Amino acid sequence: MNIKNYSKDDLDNILSIKGNSLYSDAFKRLLKNKASLASLIILLLITLLSIFGPYLLQYDFYETDWNSIYLAPSIENGHYFGTDGNGRDLLVRILYGGRLSLSIGIIATLVSVLIGVTYGTIAGYFGGKLDTIMMRIVEILYAMPYLIFVIILMVIFGRNIYLLFLAIGAVEWLTMARIVRGQTISIKEKEFIEASKSLGQSSFMIIIKHIIPNLAGTIIVYITLMVPSVIILESFLSFLGLGVQEPLTSWGVLISEGSREMETAWWLLIFPGLFMVLTLASLNFIGDGLRDALDPKEY
Amino acid sequence: MEAILNVNNLSVNFDTSQGLFKAVDDISFSIKKGECLGIAGESGSGKTQTFFSITGILSDNGSAIGTADFNDVDLLKLTEKELSNIRGKKIGFIFQDPMTSLTPHMNIGNQLIEVSMVHEKKTKNEALKKAKEVLDIVKLPRIENLLKKYPHELSGGMRQRIMIGISLMCDPLFIIADEPTTALDVTTQKEILKIFNDLKRFKDITIALISHDIGVISEVSDTILIMNEGKIIEKGNCQEVLISPKHEYTKHLLSCVPEWMK
Amino acid sequence: MIQLIIKRLAIAIPTLIIIIAFVFGLMRVAPGGPFTNERALPPEIEQKINEAYDLDKPLIHQFGIYLSKIAKGDLGPSYKYKDFTVNELILSGFPISLTLGVSAIIISLFLGSLLGIIAAIKRNTIFDYTVMGVSLIGICVPSFVLAPILSLFFGLYLGLLPISGWNGGNIYNLILPVVSLSLPQIAIISRMMRSSTIETLNSNFIRTARAKGMPKRRIITKHVIRSSILPIIDYLAPATAGLMTGSIIIEQIFGLPGIGRYFVVGALQRDYTLVSGVMILYASLLMLLILLSDILRAVLDPRVKIK
Repeated sequence: MNIKNYSKDDLDNILSIKGNSLYSDAFKRLLKNKASLASLIILLLITLLSIFGPYLLQYDFYETDWNSIYLAPSIENGHYFGTDGNGRDLLVRILYGGRLSLSIGIIATLVSVLIGVTYGTIAGYFGGKLDTIMMRIVEILYAMPYLIFVIILMVIFGRNIYLLFLAIGAVEWLTMARIVRGQTISIKEKEFIEASKSLGQSSFMIIIKHIIPNLAGTIIVYITLMVPSVIILESFLSFLGLGVQEPLTSWGVLISEGSREMETAWWLLIFPGLFMVLTLASLNFIGDGLRDALDPKEY
Repeated sequence: MEAILNVNNLSVNFDTSQGLFKAVDDISFSIKKGECLGIAGESGSGKTQTFFSITGILSDNGSAIGTADFNDVDLLKLTEKELSNIRGKKIGFIFQDPMTSLTPHMNIGNQLIEVSMVHEKKTKNEALKKAKEVLDIVKLPRIENLLKKYPHELSGGMRQRIMIGISLMCDPLFIIADEPTTALDVTTQKEILKIFNDLKRFKDITIALISHDIGVISEVSDTILIMNEGKIIEKGNCQEVLISPKHEYTKHLLSCVPEWMK
Repeated sequence: MIQLIIKRLAIAIPTLIIIIAFVFGLMRVAPGGPFTNERALPPEIEQKINEAYDLDKPLIHQFGIYLSKIAKGDLGPSYKYKDFTVNELILSGFPISLTLGVSAIIISLFLGSLLGIIAAIKRNTIFDYTVMGVSLIGICVPSFVLAPILSLFFGLYLGLLPISGWNGGNIYNLILPVVSLSLPQIAIISRMMRSSTIETLNSNFIRTARAKGMPKRRIITKHVIRSSILPIIDYLAPATAGLMTGSIIIEQIFGLPGIGRYFVVGALQRDYTLVSGVMILYASLLMLLILLSDILRAVLDPRVKIK
């Protein structure tokens, strides 16, 4: 057999290529999926617009102008999406609302991922009685009308935006915990876990170094599917007047206002709704695409 | 003796995302009435797809060309409806995995009697009488009790006997047995093979026995086909082929059979 | 079967007590809540609450009283409406919410399953693509966007249907609310049903049924559906929870005086007793549905009975 001498650099190259190939392959597959690619572009566009758009437009989001109440969308006067009952430019308000809706989506999702992954790996890895008890708790919490819980929390502790992040994160972790637990159970049966156990690796290190990296794909997929459901939840609460409060605004608040005024100004409902639906649909498509890309099973 | 099945120039293709896959490549063979033909080969050699294609139970992305005359009717020219009148009535099937091959939510009795009730328009009572007969043939005990049971309550061996029973409900001319003993332990395997021998001898049923295990085939078969990569490598009298194989691949297959079985 | 029911009740009842304890605890820590001492209430309500919950007794005693009252079906006096008890408020809204919820659940289950099965059988045809495309819209368009758009189109532009009010349960008044409530569920259920039907169609026992020469229709009705419907049965309780929360919004949008409406008004006005009463009612209904779906599952799937 031909034995070749590799330099350290060569080895590093080989190892890094192998290490990344699963995820870079998955990314390539994702980009090949037309629906996912389009969604990725739309989502990126909406995000960038929400962040930078307000600086580029000539109107402020709180600027009321009694001369331009309920103006229909038009290109000439610069109110591309029209104005609301206080003469405020709708496009600017949608973009500001997007900042809030998207950041709630991301932050609350991260909170729930943190709780869910910790909870799920512990239950799945240690198993036995601990697992039974922990999963029974999840089962009980699952049975609750959790949205109503969030509403009650908001009623009692006041309508505070940070509490909103936390409350939503606190109810959304259940699904994550369940999925992570299931995956952990199947991963811990694998030989490489046995191997690190026999090398005397502590449970904590095994979870951090071996289990969680192997869960990454699943977690990413569920993040993309969870962000839309958090955005819906926030909008739902805001729609009822229990979420984001004036002067702040979110897509839910705008849709709520729009639906009250749709008889006089349809654009107040249609445009915020469109932004929201586009975002939700893109996230769902990306999530589906990622799931297919990371798990290239033939149907 | 006349041939019950005459297959000519049969090819089977699967349309996969990686392109067209040729599972069976232009094969021809025939089976004589009352004999047992063993089809041997490793998995992926096309032996199962050969028989699934001529009876119309290929998966949706598969297609077959060629002719397959069964009692002078070309099966490949029949419509799905005409084929389904032959399957279960004139051709019986036994599959590899008895654990998943029975409908989980239907009791054994109903799974048996529906065959006669659909094909022969028998009443429920007539069908039940027949069901008891076939369960007796496959040597299952406490038949009355068994009819009310669900598949999950039975062992793999019992479920495979039920499958054989189902295939016998309409007194078929021909049975296709696809790896019928692979999922079973050795003792059960012997008993199932004995049932096949009885069916051949006393009921005059023609059998196509598909297996990767030459040992299993040699216990029942009169003639043998060796398949590899969709082609027939060798065919002939079972004894002769096994004692003096002509083809390298056959020798290779035979070398995998443990010494004592020879 | 009876064993199963007892086992489920043994889980459901403690769960309910935990929920009630949680609600009770929250009301205690709530500023100005019914179980705290500092509050500014009209004297009539103050007196009623004191009478109802023995506020001078220890905490555990108060919880005991609260629990036993709920067990008797008494949810206490309203915190904001002087002349009403929570029971009266809920009872006045319940028939409306129940009509809405039950019609929505029946429609979603029936249409969702039917569309899913047909899409699975005719998979990769125009029918399949249409159903899946429309259901994708149903998933991505939340009810609070869909409902106003529907009423804008069918109510205001076409003038076909009334866009608000109960009108004694007139069928025309029901159409838009029920449709907006069911569409998201139809979307979810049809997707679930499609994928579980495809999975069943690919299973070995369906190959057996085909090998037995069973006609297509019989394979679907006798062999496929009872297996492929199982995920839908498991989804029954989550679907109900979804409809409950959905109805809160829908009742708001269409101006229907149901329980959801009271819940929102109660939440906005901090009517603690009313909000917790609705919460307890919802939780009990959900437990009932979980029980029902367990029983249905046991009936449909013989493998459950052994456990």
